[in-house]
Amino acid sequence: MIPVEHYVTLSSLLFIIGGVGFLVRRNVLVTLMSIEVMLNAVNLALVAFNRARPWHAIGQTYAGGSHTGQVFAFFIIAAEAAEVAVGLAIVLALYRLRRTVRSDEADLLKN
Amino acid sequence: MMTDIALALSPLAVVGIGGLLLMLAEALFPRGGQLALGAVTILLAGAAFGAVVWMVGPESLDDVATLAPWLIVDRFTIFFDILLCAGGALAALLAGGYMPEHRIERGEFYALILFSTFGAMMLAAAGDALTLFLGLETMSIGAYSMTAFRRASPRSAEGALKYFLLGSFAAAVLLYGFALLYGATGHTDLAGIGAAAKTGAARNPLLVLGAALVLVGIVFKVSAVPFHAWTPDAYEGAPTPGTTFMAVAVKAGAFAMLLRVLLVAFGSDVWTSWASGWPPMVATLAALTMTVANLIAGRQESVKRMLAYSSIAHAGYALVGVTAMMRDPVKGGGSVLFYLVAYTVSTAGAFGALILCGSRGREAVSYEDLSGLGRRHPAAALAFSVFLVSLAGIPPTAGFFAKWLVFRSAIDEGLYALAILAFVNSVIGAYYYLRVLVYMYMREPAAGAPVAVPMRSGYVSTALVVSALLVLGLGLAPTSYVDMAVQAAKLGAG
Repeated sequence: MIPVEHYVTLSSLLFIIGGVGFLVRRNVLVTLMSIEVMLNAVNLALVAFNRARPWHAIGQTYAGGSHTGQVFAFFIIAAEAAEVAVGLAIVLALYRLRRTVRSDEADLLKN
Repeated sequence: MMTDIALALSPLAVVGIGGLLLMLAEALFPRGGQLALGAVTILLAGAAFGAVVWMVGPESLDDVATLAPWLIVDRFTIFFDILLCAGGALAALLAGGYMPEHRIERGEFYALILFSTFGAMMLAAAGDALTLFLGLETMSIGAYSMTAFRRASPRSAEGALKYFLLGSFAAAVLLYGFALLYGATGHTDLAGIGAAAKTGAARNPLLVLGAALVLVGIVFKVSAVPFHAWTPDAYEGAPTPGTTFMAVAVKAGAFAMLLRVLLVAFGSDVWTSWASGWPPMVATLAALTMTVANLIAGRQESVKRMLAYSSIAHAGYALVGVTAMMRDPVKGGGSVLFYLVAYTVSTAGAFGALILCGSRGREAVSYEDLSGLGRRHPAAALAFSVFLVSLAGIPPTAGFFAKWLVFRSAIDEGLYALAILAFVNSVIGAYYYLRVLVYMYMREPAAGAPVAVPMRSGYVSTALVVSALLVLGLGLAPTSYVDMAVQAAKLGAG
């Protein structure tokens, strides 16, 4: 079995790649993808930790391992799908009005 | 018994189911006025159910503990249910006047307010990272949509884009923090994290990194400096009732999350000590937030944007109270909760007054728009003055008493430097609030300049009268409300 450290290392690399991508890229679509990479890093970490250490959470009474991390990952996938739907609608609205999907060209609001 | 659980969840259920029904009603009654009334009724019903649960006492309800750790129904939760429903109702009232006046009347706005309030209430009740995340997303998705609501306005779309991108980024950081905490402790529930973090594991790097990421994610939502960049743009781009909702309910929900996480997951001695825990970090954030926001707010030309920076500065004052929770969670937490109530009514009123001062085609935006208002429209100017005086922290208003409580709890904890900085900041803050009064009462509009004509709306007037009464009531007779706030803050003791 692959030790959990490998998964966690991969997950932290993904998270850093996503975070750097979010901070340096100016195309909104790429920025959105960077956020998705970060969230997948979260999912990978949750699932790997769950598999490595199937502890019981407080209040669980049934027999067998805990699946908190796995279930959490499903919720993240579902909630992020909803969030991205709203996000793409906002990007579309901006594109219709300004003909751009670059965040540095969206500069009407300033001090 | 089931009825006990039903009663405990009734505020949440009323608002959630009410939101769904309102979406159906929108097909039958396309007129916005009725929908606004419907939304206000639903939110007030939610607040009333909250008040019933408060009087019955959530701790006396059987089987409510079986909802834990997903949802925790205690006085803290119920306090926030009432506060959030009241804030949402004020925003819905303002929308009932603003949306038809500026011809962006579409019924979805009221459903968004209800769903977003539902998310904030869930956030306040969440005792597990999973429900906390779901509540946060429900609240935020509604707020993003409200910001983008003026579809013909590039500013609206731009503000929404910035809000959405930084909000999603913050959510991802928060989640990664919780994933690391799960790896370090095996728990996603806050109480379990707290128990595992207590037993001498505070030097576990996974735990420390996870806690830091969680806190960064939360203070993004609280919009503390240096994580505030999205706030002025989102607040300026959104239609003003949406701004009100974000400044009031979304901020209160974020503070509920911050308090619950700090008290339950990181409330043990290791984490609350100045040497090894979160207090220095929160104190730094509080100092930065107050100072930077106040300095920038003074330079704004737009009153709406000034109020946006003012809401950041007020988050800074509330963070002073959060820092004071380090040794006495009940007193410090109580001062934060009371501060949030006073801030909610004052801010909702100030944005409401700004809405009232504009009409179709000409929103009141800059200081010049307001010049001479005291002579032309005394009632509108008087309402605005009450809320600005409260925001500036001048007696006999709610804002004064709230600031006094927070500063006193900081002094009791020995945080003298922070208390003095907060005091200096509230003096700086008075400058830009009183500047609005100067324009309203001592300046006349330049000859030939277009002046803003106040709109007429029963909804907005009602919201202003209610907020003004609350501002004065909380300032003159605060005792019972402070008692409620202190009772609500007792969650860490359990």
